[in-house]
Formats: sequence, structure tokens, C-alpha cells
Amino acid sequence: MQPTPEVVLAVVFLPFAAAAFVPFVYRALGERTAYAAAAVALVCFGLVSRLYLAGAHGTVSVEWIPSLGVSLAFYVDGLALLIAFLASGVGVLILTYSGGYMHGEPGQAKYYATLLAFMGSMLGVALAGDLVALFVFWELTSLSSYLLIGHYTSESDSMYASRKSMLVTVAGGLFMLVGFVLLSWASGQALGAATYSVPVLLDNAEAVRTALENAGLFVPVLLLVAVGAATKSAQVPFHIWLPNAMEAPTPVSAFLHSATMVKAGVYLIGRFRPFFLPEGALPLGEWTLAIAVLGLVTMTVAAVLAVGSTDIKELLAYSTASHLGLIIAGFGFANEYGAEAGAFHILNHASFKAALFLVAGIVAHEAGTRKIDHLGGLRKHLPITAVVATLASLSMAGIPPFNGFYSKELLFEAAYDAAVHVGGVGWLFPVVAVLGSVFTFLYSIKFASLFFGEVPDELGEVHRPPLVMLVPPALLGALVLAISASPNTFLGALVGDVYASVLPGGGHHSFTVSLPTELTPYVLMSTITIAIGAVSFPFYDRLHRGIRAALRGPLRANWWYDGAVDGVEALSAAATPRIQNGLLRTYATWALAGVAALGLAGYVASGVSLPAFTGVGLAPAMVLVLLVAVVGAVAVDIAPSHAAGVLTLSILGFMVAIFYILADAPDLALTQLVVETLVLVIFLLVLDQLPAFYGEGRLSRTVRDGAVATLVGAMVAATVLVTTSATPADPIAEFLVENAGVPAEHGSVILNAGGGGNVVNVILVDFRAFDTMGEISVVGMAALAILTLVRMRERGETQ
Amino acid sequence: MSGRDASARPAEGVDLDHVAEDAAPEDPAPDDDAYDYEAGSETTVVARTVVRFVVPITLVTAVALLLQGHNLPGGGFIGAVLTAAAVTLIYVIFGLDYVRTAVLGSPRFGDPDDLAVSIYRWMFGLGLALAATSGLAPILFGYEFLTQAVVFVEHVPLYGELEFASALAFDLGVYFTVVGALLTIVAEVGAE
Repeated sequence: MQPTPEVVLAVVFLPFAAAAFVPFVYRALGERTAYAAAAVALVCFGLVSRLYLAGAHGTVSVEWIPSLGVSLAFYVDGLALLIAFLASGVGVLILTYSGGYMHGEPGQAKYYATLLAFMGSMLGVALAGDLVALFVFWELTSLSSYLLIGHYTSESDSMYASRKSMLVTVAGGLFMLVGFVLLSWASGQALGAATYSVPVLLDNAEAVRTALENAGLFVPVLLLVAVGAATKSAQVPFHIWLPNAMEAPTPVSAFLHSATMVKAGVYLIGRFRPFFLPEGALPLGEWTLAIAVLGLVTMTVAAVLAVGSTDIKELLAYSTASHLGLIIAGFGFANEYGAEAGAFHILNHASFKAALFLVAGIVAHEAGTRKIDHLGGLRKHLPITAVVATLASLSMAGIPPFNGFYSKELLFEAAYDAAVHVGGVGWLFPVVAVLGSVFTFLYSIKFASLFFGEVPDELGEVHRPPLVMLVPPALLGALVLAISASPNTFLGALVGDVYASVLPGGGHHSFTVSLPTELTPYVLMSTITIAIGAVSFPFYDRLHRGIRAALRGPLRANWWYDGAVDGVEALSAAATPRIQNGLLRTYATWALAGVAALGLAGYVASGVSLPAFTGVGLAPAMVLVLLVAVVGAVAVDIAPSHAAGVLTLSILGFMVAIFYILADAPDLALTQLVVETLVLVIFLLVLDQLPAFYGEGRLSRTVRDGAVATLVGAMVAATVLVTTSATPADPIAEFLVENAGVPAEHGSVILNAGGGGNVVNVILVDFRAFDTMGEISVVGMAALAILTLVRMRERGETQ
Repeated sequence: MSGRDASARPAEGVDLDHVAEDAAPEDPAPDDDAYDYEAGSETTVVARTVVRFVVPITLVTAVALLLQGHNLPGGGFIGAVLTAAAVTLIYVIFGLDYVRTAVLGSPRFGDPDDLAVSIYRWMFGLGLALAATSGLAPILFGYEFLTQAVVFVEHVPLYGELEFASALAFDLGVYFTVVGALLTIVAEVGAE
């Protein structure tokens, strides 16, 4: 049935509204704001459940920018509901957990407001049914992630990390936006009217795809969307921001950087899978080549990097990238097993990874360290945490009968199936999948082993975590157990609909999983994975050191990122003193040259042609006045001093005023005269403050100034010629002249005409009064600015 | 150009008449309220005398331009610039102190909150407020922002028919904004 509009809008906008009230709530409740925020998340979760229980499927649309065909549309289906469940459900747990974790931390009002705003943005991403709305919510999640990663504003590591995540994810989002615009353009070609609506695009996938292919844009659009997804979901080589993002408070890492925000990229891939991968597509089409390869490479590389990690949160961060790679790889394969693997692993990964992050938070909070070398035997002090961690780690490792096993098994099945159909190089798919899984097995077991064995000497006292920090991971652990115990219940209830969303053609599909009872190729792959993993686990430390030793120079993606950012910073630092050196003439040179060059380039680009010269057509008196003005202009250039220059310049100004008089424009002439006078006086006032370099200019500077002057002159001349030669079909001048005066017949009050004899003034104060309003505001602002600057200098402030 | 740095510079504009007049007062302790019209001035007596005549005429012309703008050449902006030019003329000829002490009666020099500039600041603030209010007023009557009306009043003694344009209020707003802003700039830049 159709979703209820009020419910959908409430789900998305309630967190934003609540975020606005957080500062006030915080003033009243203090640290208990966490529970108020958790209650908001719970309401959202309830609303999402209501949508789910009502079997909602369809679009809700609110008009937003009708002139551009953009609406605030929301599209409810299985995939959207699963992500919405994750965002709101994990949100409840995280906000509760924050109540314990953030105890005594600074900036809590900001923290809870941003977390709520993030939750709203994520719900918006999940439910968005319009590409522009999707993009806006997408960037809002990047923005809130930026604020949350940089929560500790005084620490340079946090600042580095937040800037990195912002640069990577927002840049990726812009690529995605270009892809969306191209998609919309193609829909205009195919359907007659351009649309940003997601369901319309999906329903007409065939036609839009054909239009894209005809324009040769199919692969570019696919890659643009893939870049957006890869940056958000931390896929190689854009994975670098995720480990740094662990500078954020741990609840944030668990929420944004494992369960929800990084799932946005996965969501995008899932959402566009039926569009780019039609039924009966080749087993090795563009989609599989791009997406499956991206996912498998990430899965393996990130798993290797996780083994090379020294910090538990870093390990979990790389592991998150690796598992997102698994989901993306699943969606990348052109067979249904892949779709099943991706759909199921979204849920599985959220359950065990959010639990593990919360466990890591407890360890860091209670043991005071996150160094893997310093941790061990935590079972003795954190018994419940140890149970949750072991469960979740085994699930992450893909060991039967835990839920992680089922989705990994489906991926093996997909990779094997693809290899059978592709043949040859295609056999790399299962090989790489197994390789990545071996490393996944290794680091998962390593994480679990922190809770067993001997207690290292470096480990200090370990406290008991408060109940609010223990319950959320325990609940997630229970979820892992529940999915493991009865996977088919969850498949039928939730994942089946997700699976339907990522398949072309829609329709209701579902699938079931079960523990293997016979030896199939993929069961063999799982066995090989576990066997190699178990055999090589004793050499974990050697592997760990080997990976760290190998990561040097250009082999690290960070080397490229740091090089690029440092390079841009150096370039900026080198350019600034040249462009902004505190000398007015330098600013003027750059600004004028820039404006003139851009203006002329615009004319050239749009291919305007200058009107043909048709003779002067001016009265002799006017020609004479203009000639004097030209003489004045030349005299300015050869004036020996500032005073002479200013006085000569005013000759030019007064000649223009006379020209206006001759051209029957008394208002312009009056204005020109008084402004000219005033400017002359102001010039004389500031004259002795100006540097006196008359007549001592170097040749190079003279040439440069001449070039700039010529450029500006050319631009202005071209503008005048182009604008005056334009002949609009319905000129407004006639309307103004007809309506400015007093009508022949009028009552005692006129409203629809200017009622004034002076058209110019009637335009200024009546027809175009809004413009005048703006202009006088600018005059006022200029005065305020000068006042402020002069006063600041008097007080000795220079910055 | 201002009076206070005149002593540091050679008085190039001072002619013989000026010096002769200047020599007259020898009062060692001049009254605080009385402005010493001649001391330190580097302008000629001709300039000062002309300005005394020209400024009032200019001001009247400016007001006339403002008021007649609806039907004849002129308007708020032109009137405002002309007014500013007139006051600037006083600044140039008599110096900044003169306006502060003799015209506005504030002897405080160099006070950051000096009276002249604060008056100008008020002026452009009020001007903007007036323009905005005149734009908002029509909304009360159910018209759009900045709708202007003209009212004709018949049978006025001496004048016959009189035309009142609501645009005049807006134009006054323009006038005060521009005068205030320009004079703020001139006074501040001149004081530098």
C-alpha cells in the first residue's frame, strides 16, 4: 500500500527538529539529554516499524523546486526500510550508550544535536525518492560526520581526520551529483520530460539506459555514481578516511562509521543495481567489471590492512571497509546469489560490527588503551563484554553457524557462479574472495583473542562498564544470535524485500539459506578459508609486522592524499602573497584583469557577434565634447603628479556630464556632476596617503598595467556594443513611459501608475524601488565597513 | 587637509591678507566653545568667503532637487550627493574641527564616539529604516511590498490642486541613507 505521507515526513524531519531543541534540552537535563535523544530515535524507529507493518511501498512527494523538476520525494521499499531500521534502531542504542560513554566529555549539546541531525540525514538518504533530495541528504551526512569526527576541536589529529573525511566524501558526492544530472538529462531524452525521480528512472530503466548508451554516457555515469558510493563506503583507494575517522568518540564510530553512514554508498549501489544491471545482462558487463572488482579488491586490501593494524578501532575501521567491499562485490555480480549476499550482509554486518565497536568503546573506556599489544585476558574483568565480542567476532570471521557465515557463503556462491560463466580470468573472483576471507578470519580471531589468554604487563586496572554501556552491545549480540539461530525468519521478514529492491524488474522475491549438508564448491571455499586461517593464525604477529614493513611510500593511499593536500597548501601559500599583498593596486590589477578576462571569455564562449559599424551619427557638439574627454583621458596618463592626474580625470567626468545634457538626460547629468565633484573632493582628501610613484614606473609594470587597461577597456566596449545592439521583442521602456506619468483621467488616488513627470525618478522610487532599496543598503554597508576598518586601525588592530 | 596636521606642514595656501588678519587675536586662553576661525587654516580668505555663500545655496538647491524629483530632474540620490558635497566643502575649507566644534558644538576632538560621525551613522540608519517602513506600509493595506500611491488634494488655497506621492517617503529614506553614508566616509577618511 501507499505510505502515509505524514509518517514518512515525520520520520525524516523529527530528528532535525529535535536537534534544534537539543541546546535547550541540554540546559534543562544536562547529561541526561542522551536519553531524550534516544527517545526521539525510538519514536523514529516506531514510525519506521509502522511503515513496515503497514506494508508500505511507494512514493510520497512534496513540491520543492517545481521549476527545475525537483521535488522532496520519498520512496519506500525494502532497501529503504532496512537502512531506515538500521539508522533509527542503532540510533536508539548508540544514543543510550552515549549517555554512559560521554560522561564528563566537553561539547555534549553539540554532540547530541549533530548525532540527531545525522540520524535525520541518514533516514533522508534511505527514503529519498528524488536524486536531488538524495544528494542533499547525502551531503548532510558528510557534514554531520565532519562535525562528529572533529568533536575534540583542540586536537590536531581530530582536525586532520575530519578534514580528510570531508574532502574525500564531499568530493565523491560531487561526482555523484554530476552523474545524477546526466541521468536526468538522459531521462529527458528518453521520456520527453527530464526527471529526478528515482522510481520513474527505475521503472523506465530500459529507455533511459538506451538514451545514455546512444550518447556514449553509460559508462561515465556508472563510474560517476560508483565514485560517489566508493568514497562514502570507504572503498579502495578512497578507504583512507575511515581509519582516521576513528578519532571520533567511539559511539560515533559505531553509528556512522560502521552501521549507517558508510552504508550509504552500499545503498546507492543497491539502489542503482536494477538500473545499470538489467535482466539478462552479460556475466562480465560494465557493472560487474567496475563494481564487483572494486568490492573484491577493497575486501582483500582492507582485510590485509586490518591485520596490519595496531589499534583495535583501526582494526575495526579497516574491517568495516573490507565488509562493505563484500557487500558491494555481492551487488556487483550479475547473478542472484550476489544480490542475496549483499542484501543479507547489510543486516549481518550492522549487527556484529556495531556490537564490536561498542565493545571497543568499552575496552578503551575501561582499560584506558586501544593498543592491541597492550590488551589481553580482558575476559576476567569484562565477562559480558567478552561474550558479546566472541559472538560477534566469530560471526565476522564467517564461521558457521553464525550469521556472517551465511552471507559470506552466498558471496562465494556468487563469485563461483560468475567464474563458471565468465571462465578464464573470471576464476580470479573466487580466488580473491577466498584470499580476502582468510585475512578477515585472521583479524576476527585476533580481536576475539584479546579477551582470552594472559593479561599483559602494560594493561592497567580495568573497570566495570556502567549498565547503559553494556545493554546496547548485549542487545546487538542478541540480534547476532537471533539471526544466526533463525536466518530464514529475518530473510522472509526484511531481507527478502531488500533483495527484491536490488533486482531488476521488481516483483516479490525471497530466498532461504541453510547450513550446508553436502560438499559444494563454495562449501569447499569456506573450508579452505577456515583451514588456511587456522593454520596461519600462529604466525599472526609475523604477518602483522610484514604488512607494516611493506607499507611505505607510494604504496600507501595516504601518501597520495597527504602529498596532494600539502601541495595544494603550498601552492596556496605561494600564491597568496602575490595576489593579496596588502597593496590596493595589486588587488585592483587581479580583480579587474580577472573580471575582464572572464567577461570576454564569456562573450567568446557564447559566440556573440559585435554589431557592424554604421557611422557615428552624432551631432557635432557631441563629437566635440567626446573629443575633449578623450584628450582628458590621454592627459591623465601623462600627468606628472596625483593632483594633476585627479584634476585631469575630472575633465573626463565633466565632459561625460555635458554629453548627458546634450543627449537629453538631465537626471544623469545632474548625478554625474555632483558625484564627479564629490569624488574629486574625496580624492583630494586621500591624495597624500597614496604612494607617489608617478613617472618612476618600471617598463614591465607599465606594460602590465597597459595590458590590464586594454583588457578592461575591451571588455567594457564589447559589453556596451553587445547590450545596446540587443533588441528585445517587448521592450519594457514603453511600459515605463506609458505608466510613469499622471494618467489623463484619474481619481484622487492613483495606485497603478507612477503619477510623476520624471520617468527616471519614478523608476527609481516606484517601478524599481526594490533595486533602489538594495542599492541604499549597499551604500549603508559600505559606510559601516569603512567606519569599522578605520576605527580598527585607530585601535591598532591590523587583522 | 584637516586642521590638525596643518601645523606640521608649510602653509602653502596662506597669503598676505590671511597673515594680517591672523595676527590680530593674541588671547592666550581662548574660550573653549568659541572656534578659532582663523588659526591653523591653510585656506585663503577668498575660499572661505565663497564657501560661506555657496554652502547655504547648495543646501537649498539640494532640498529643492529632492522635493521636485517626482516631476522634474532631481531626486533623493542627487539631492543627497549634493548635500554631502556641500558639507564636504566645509570640511575641506574649514577643517574637520570646525564642523565638530562650531557647527555641532562638541569640543571633544579625537573622541572615538565623536558626535558628527554618530549623527551621520544615525542618519543612514534612519534613512534605511524610513525606506523600509515606507515599503512595508502598503502591506498593511493589502498591497505588495513597496507599492507607491499618489494622492491628489483638490481646492487647496493658493495652490489649487496638490499632488502627494508616497514615493517621497521612500525618496527621503534614500536621501538620508546616502547623506549619512557619504558623510561618514568623508569624515572618517578625512580624519585619517
